[in-house]
Amino acid sequence: MAAQVMKPGRKLDERYLARQRWARAAWVYGAMLALAVFFIGPFYVAYLGSLKDNPLEWPFRYSFAQTQPKNWAAAWRLGQLGASNPWTGGFAPGANIPFQVSYFVEDGQEPQTPVVTVPTRRAGAGLGAIFDEVQAAQYARVSEVQEVGRRSAVVGGQPGQIVTYSFTIAYEGQGPRAPRLPLDIEAPRGQVYYSATLDPNRLERRGRVASWDSAAPGLLGYAFRNYVRVFNEARDPNTGASFFLRWTLNTFLVCVAVVLTTLLFASLAGYALARMYFPGKNYLFAFVVFTMTVPAQAIFISNYLVLRDLGLLSSLWGMVVWSAVGAGAVFIMKQFFESIPREIEEAALIDGASPITTFFRIIIPMATPALGALTILTFQGMWNEFFKAAVVLSGQQGNYTLPLGLSFFRNAYGVAGDWGLMLASAFLSMIPIIILFVVFQRYFVEGVSTSALKG
Amino acid sequence: MLRSQRIEALYALLFLAPFLIHLGVFFVFAFVRTLGFSFTDKTLIGQSYQIVGFANFIQLFQDPRFIAALTHSISFMLIVTTLQTFLALSMAAILNQRLRGITFFRTVYYIPSVLSSAAVTVIAIWFFQKTGFLNTFIGWIGSVAPVLLTFVAIFVLAQAVQVAWERIRGLPVALTDPALATISLAVGLALTWLLAALGVVVPREAQPPEFTWLTNSDRFLGVPIPLWSIIMLNTFTTIPTLMLIFLAGLQDIPKSIYEAAAIDGASPLQQFFSVTVPMLRPVTFLVITLSLIGTLQMFDQVALMGDAAPLDSIIVLAYYVYNNVFSGEGRVGLASAAAIILAALTFAIVLLQRALGISEKAH
Repeated sequence: MAAQVMKPGRKLDERYLARQRWARAAWVYGAMLALAVFFIGPFYVAYLGSLKDNPLEWPFRYSFAQTQPKNWAAAWRLGQLGASNPWTGGFAPGANIPFQVSYFVEDGQEPQTPVVTVPTRRAGAGLGAIFDEVQAAQYARVSEVQEVGRRSAVVGGQPGQIVTYSFTIAYEGQGPRAPRLPLDIEAPRGQVYYSATLDPNRLERRGRVASWDSAAPGLLGYAFRNYVRVFNEARDPNTGASFFLRWTLNTFLVCVAVVLTTLLFASLAGYALARMYFPGKNYLFAFVVFTMTVPAQAIFISNYLVLRDLGLLSSLWGMVVWSAVGAGAVFIMKQFFESIPREIEEAALIDGASPITTFFRIIIPMATPALGALTILTFQGMWNEFFKAAVVLSGQQGNYTLPLGLSFFRNAYGVAGDWGLMLASAFLSMIPIIILFVVFQRYFVEGVSTSALKG
Repeated sequence: MLRSQRIEALYALLFLAPFLIHLGVFFVFAFVRTLGFSFTDKTLIGQSYQIVGFANFIQLFQDPRFIAALTHSISFMLIVTTLQTFLALSMAAILNQRLRGITFFRTVYYIPSVLSSAAVTVIAIWFFQKTGFLNTFIGWIGSVAPVLLTFVAIFVLAQAVQVAWERIRGLPVALTDPALATISLAVGLALTWLLAALGVVVPREAQPPEFTWLTNSDRFLGVPIPLWSIIMLNTFTTIPTLMLIFLAGLQDIPKSIYEAAAIDGASPLQQFFSVTVPMLRPVTFLVITLSLIGTLQMFDQVALMGDAAPLDSIIVLAYYVYNNVFSGEGRVGLASAAAIILAALTFAIVLLQRALGISEKAH
């Protein structure tokens, strides 16, 4: 419209159009980048949260003690000094750990030596609290705290000086290895924590009291403290076995079993529906497609009772039996078998081979791509299956799968607000699927768009 | 029937047997039994039960919690489907370009859809906490709002000035001309940075978060705030799947139609509404149906919320059924009646889609 009103002026030349194309591409890339931030950003900030001592801290910080290389190096070294274990640390006989801490003292106040203690502290607030743990406090001897230096500095607009103290913690005599070396340092009023060999996990009373979960944590024990806690603290009260490892194993077993049954049964059924003649075939297929729309939540009551009568409740077998073969998998295999040429199997059938031989010798080897895609989709679906697990497995915690385990953690740790452990377990449970996704992303993306469009 | 045909039918039955047995037990039998239970007063612990006719259905509609679950399910379904379809379609339209690296981005966007709903929900509950990241982010937007608004104002002004200038010179440029917009962006960034550096426009002090997402008893548009949180979560995790379906559909539209439209002088926006939207109607139909059925089944998010949010503000049909079976004495009869209503809603949607789908093809 506007163009017609205007006087005929310059023409749209080539250079102008090229410039426009480039600019449009730049805007599209910008939009894609913004969308990537939208979809990945929440996971990134939650990951940062899972590393923190207090994931709900306000204001939110993107850079904190656990993300600083200085602390990683210190944690590594301290872990080595504490128990010759730079990864997860500890406190073992023969340990002699030097430690330094600095305080800011305003001008006009005389610095006083802080009090260093190795407290007796139980692990966590949740499941771990019921286990007796070797306490480092029984064996640790803290040397005399000595002042090693002073320098003047201005902190927060206040002139004053920074005073550094030094001490060592030694393991006295012989004894068992303690998993952690908790440490509290309390300074007199007016002295504010400034820095230390290793930044503390908590600062209380306006920076007067600094406390460490472990003064010899090791790299993982410090930077991935919550992740280590998932394995160490959440244990079965009866057997002492790590819940999380057990759940991971359970989920793997269920996934592998369901993948195997699905591959076999779905390709058999899909082949029959695609290639064989029998009366009522089209009605059966229409019915199969229809069953895909009915939600499992609408018909689970009878399935629950059936599994109860079979004695399969609270058992992984219950999950496997219920999920053995799905209508969706049959549908995918039928679509695939219809897409391969008939001639090959006809040749085999003319040679006198039975349908069973033909199927296993000729059809299955040709179906590897479809079976691969089905494996991945089934594995992913089972790994994430929450509803069936909630129906079949509830009660016996040792038999949980990961999604149900996460829900159990949410109830066990949610009250205490222990978000570090909950977030860490959520991220740990995602790792296998992320690996699968990175390796086989093509199957995921193509599987969704093609199977949905045909359906 | 010929002998060979009969043998083939027998083999087919053999091949189908495991699947048919599974389907028979876990679908047909299950459905019939649920339907049967819905007319009885069966409980999970009790041995005997009696037929009570429609008493369960009458009782359901007198239960305020069921009414809440039903209204939540339906509003959840309608809101999420609307949001998802619009957002997924606009995202697919942006991504439907032949540019280098676009496959990489598509893969990245798909990540929220492949992760387990349990893990994502745990992360989301953290996100929605009072001092969680969502409030932090809203607080941050609020504090930098003056700077952002300055930037937007300068950007719009710069674009308007440039477009006006080009038009005076006789060049028919669109208001959204991308090349000019790039210059406007640079001008906007530079001037905003300058104003901020000079202290003319400064961010406000960040306010501590006040809004509670999960323990809130307020309603927005008649839907409880905690349910809105789940709506946001569900939309976020399912957009990528629907977007991929739209993308596959977009790529089936012949390029020549767009070229013809462009020659006729249609702007990109006009092309979108007069070519893309009508050509994409079958796919849109599919996406809407998938989304309606999928949202009606929503269970995981509600179950994982647990006591993070009051149950009556987030309960949906699927959870109502589950909750009635697995709490107290296990009212199987009542739960079955609710399950039948859930199934009936699903059937209604499928039938509606079939009915509309046929008329769609006739046109």
